[in-house]
Amino acid sequence: MDIQLSAPGAMETEIRLARPQKAARASDFVSRLQVMQTILGAEHFAVLRLSGHGLPSARKLTLSLHNWAHEVDVNARALMEAYGPAMLAHLEASMLPLLWEGAGENQFAESGAEPFTARLPARLLPWSGMAFPVRLGAHGNGYVVFLGTFIAPSSDLIVDMHMKSCQLLIDMLAGEEKKLTPAEALSEREIACLQMAGDGCISEAIAEKMGLSVHTVNAYLGTATTKLDAVNRIQAIAKAIRLGYIT
Amino acid sequence: METIRSDTAAWESYGFSAETVERKSARELLVQHLGRCADHAGLSSGLRALTDYVSASHYLLVRHDAAPEAGLEAVVASDWPFDMVRGIAGALLASQSRTSELEKCLTLLKPCFSHLDETVTAPKGISREYCVVAFHVGRVRMSLLLLFPEHFILSQSKLRDVGVMTGYFASVCCQGAILRQDREMELTDREVECLYWIAEGKTSDEIAVILGISRNTINNYITSVMRKTATKTRSEAIAWAVRNSLV
Repeated sequence: MDIQLSAPGAMETEIRLARPQKAARASDFVSRLQVMQTILGAEHFAVLRLSGHGLPSARKLTLSLHNWAHEVDVNARALMEAYGPAMLAHLEASMLPLLWEGAGENQFAESGAEPFTARLPARLLPWSGMAFPVRLGAHGNGYVVFLGTFIAPSSDLIVDMHMKSCQLLIDMLAGEEKKLTPAEALSEREIACLQMAGDGCISEAIAEKMGLSVHTVNAYLGTATTKLDAVNRIQAIAKAIRLGYIT
Repeated sequence: METIRSDTAAWESYGFSAETVERKSARELLVQHLGRCADHAGLSSGLRALTDYVSASHYLLVRHDAAPEAGLEAVVASDWPFDMVRGIAGALLASQSRTSELEKCLTLLKPCFSHLDETVTAPKGISREYCVVAFHVGRVRMSLLLLFPEHFILSQSKLRDVGVMTGYFASVCCQGAILRQDREMELTDREVECLYWIAEGKTSDEIAVILGISRNTINNYITSVMRKTATKTRSEAIAWAVRNSLV
């Protein structure tokens, strides 16, 4: 392990919660995935990410990284048709890796970590595979999938690969972080008003607590709404919670 | 040197392949042991094995989806002294609600160290520092809190292992408890659908057009959501839904 502890630099990383210094590029992710694929003895990888906030029916898994080259459309569709709904449901309920056997003579998929893997119905796809569910929280959830004809990792390897899958999606999310922050920082007053509105106070009650007029409170909520790029107060509250301005 | 908590170092540090090791690794043996404990009765012995694996002394498993007022409801399993559990459960949930959603996503499976409150008396020989590893079992966020002997440094890579394996173990062991307490079950699909559109900033009239039902019906759904969630205003109901990651 590399030990370089120049004092001020180390302090800073600690405070910044040790986020990666520069945004990792897609090629970095691909090379990491290729290493994982080789270790697992798989032939292809795919990263599926959950998109569509909210409604269970509106959520879906979309392909974000893969090495299928020109066969991508056919393969992605086949994968989603066979296991899409099962994978979505699984992501809501469990952290266990998914495993399935493909159709054909020489297909084999076995996990060394029974009972800590869940099996999907076999023989729906031309390849066997293993999918690691990654649920980070409000953002960046998804699966890292490996496909091949012979998938038989030991429990040791499964734990290791699952950790790497999590780290990969965390790093992908960290790279997108900029897009999630609003254009302009909210002021303290605006945050306080949003917080109280989120706690169920009407404008009059907020005004009384803060010793302001109702119009001022509404103005603060209005500017907060603009800064958060929301169309109304309610959407501003939802966004403020997701971004961590209020709780 | 285990004290370096840099993310980039962590990526390399746990990247050893198990394939070259002929003997079963400690991790493999642990997974086997957990497999034997994988029913609800085995919860404590499984967690004990995980605790021993990182050379920690006491475990406390909490879930973060319980309401703040529920208090000890959040504690899934523990062998900490009771007074300490009572002291820390509230503090932990409070600190979680101060962290932004994005921060929570980026710190998944990352061991964090905190200090016990001054007022808490730790058992003799136990460090006043404790370690927290967070993970998701489906939509439920859980944390494993570990106490360890004084002057002891826990291995970062083993802590990450434990994060993943506790996640697996809890996915199997606590499945019943997670499904039962899922608060989303209380709301109907239509109600969640309405909440989603409101959080997107739509008015009742707009939602009426989107869903093809009358605005009065929409308002009835919202009223019923507010009744079920014991919230006073629309804003508060949306805030509740975002906090519980329904939308």
